[in-house]
Amino acid sequence: MEPFVALAPGAERNGFAPMLAQLVRDNLTERPTKKDTLRKMRGRVALVIEDLELVVTLHFHDGGVTVHDDFHGIPDTTVRTTAEWITKMSLIELEPRFGLPDPRGEVAREVAKAQADGSIKVHGGLPRLPLMLRLTKLLSVVG
Amino acid sequence: MSTGHPFPSQAWADAFKDAVNQNEAYQKHGKPWTFGKVAMAVKAEPGKGIPDDAGFILDVHEGACRGVAYVKGMDAMQEAPFIIVADYDRWLTVIAGDVDPIKAMMEGKLKLVKGALPTMLRFVESSRALVNSATEVATDLDAAPEPPN
Repeated sequence: MEPFVALAPGAERNGFAPMLAQLVRDNLTERPTKKDTLRKMRGRVALVIEDLELVVTLHFHDGGVTVHDDFHGIPDTTVRTTAEWITKMSLIELEPRFGLPDPRGEVAREVAKAQADGSIKVHGGLPRLPLMLRLTKLLSVVG
Repeated sequence: MSTGHPFPSQAWADAFKDAVNQNEAYQKHGKPWTFGKVAMAVKAEPGKGIPDDAGFILDVHEGACRGVAYVKGMDAMQEAPFIIVADYDRWLTVIAGDVDPIKAMMEGKLKLVKGALPTMLRFVESSRALVNSATEVATDLDAAPEPPN
């Protein structure tokens, strides 16, 4: 079954929600191996873009994802950062074998440094590491 | 007396092409771009002197701008694989450099209505360089928009 990418009712009022949905759809089209990744994902990830004062929640369920405006339910993981870093996170290089973030990649190293210095705050990421790794793979536009 | 070009207009398009080709950052970041033309569409707002949708089709390739066509109507823009749409006031803030194009897309103020978003995201710096080129164009904000021929 094809994984679905849905926009929750009313989510279009948050400009970032349709953009994220479009990004996931286009990534699935360009790299169909990401469909398996999406099918395996379960849980809720909230992305807080502090400088734009926007929040979206990605709810992974039933083999697909629904994108909501604002917080929706209790997130398993919350990422707080700026628009600049959210964009950079989509540029994280993936190693080809398993599609995991490539620690040797220039952007991957920049993002790791930003996490260390607090420019990117990930709450609840460690307990849900598989979810976060799959999210990185799903959203990456370079691998 | 202003010496700038009305926006949008063919004169502005020609000046924009020159500004892009003089932009070293665009030459560098746009070098890998081989994905075709990019259209910047301005939504019709008759009250502001834009009776029909109008837009620029940028023939960008490998870090150079080979031409900018100023056209009328969304149909005319379909030759471009990428189309970005915004209203007139939004484009004014973009060409003034007041808005980061990627942030504006995240806020839904600029909309990619045609083309692959992952490709655009891979060229974030290239997009910013194009916007920087737009800020280099002398724009007469008091002049009425000139419709395409």
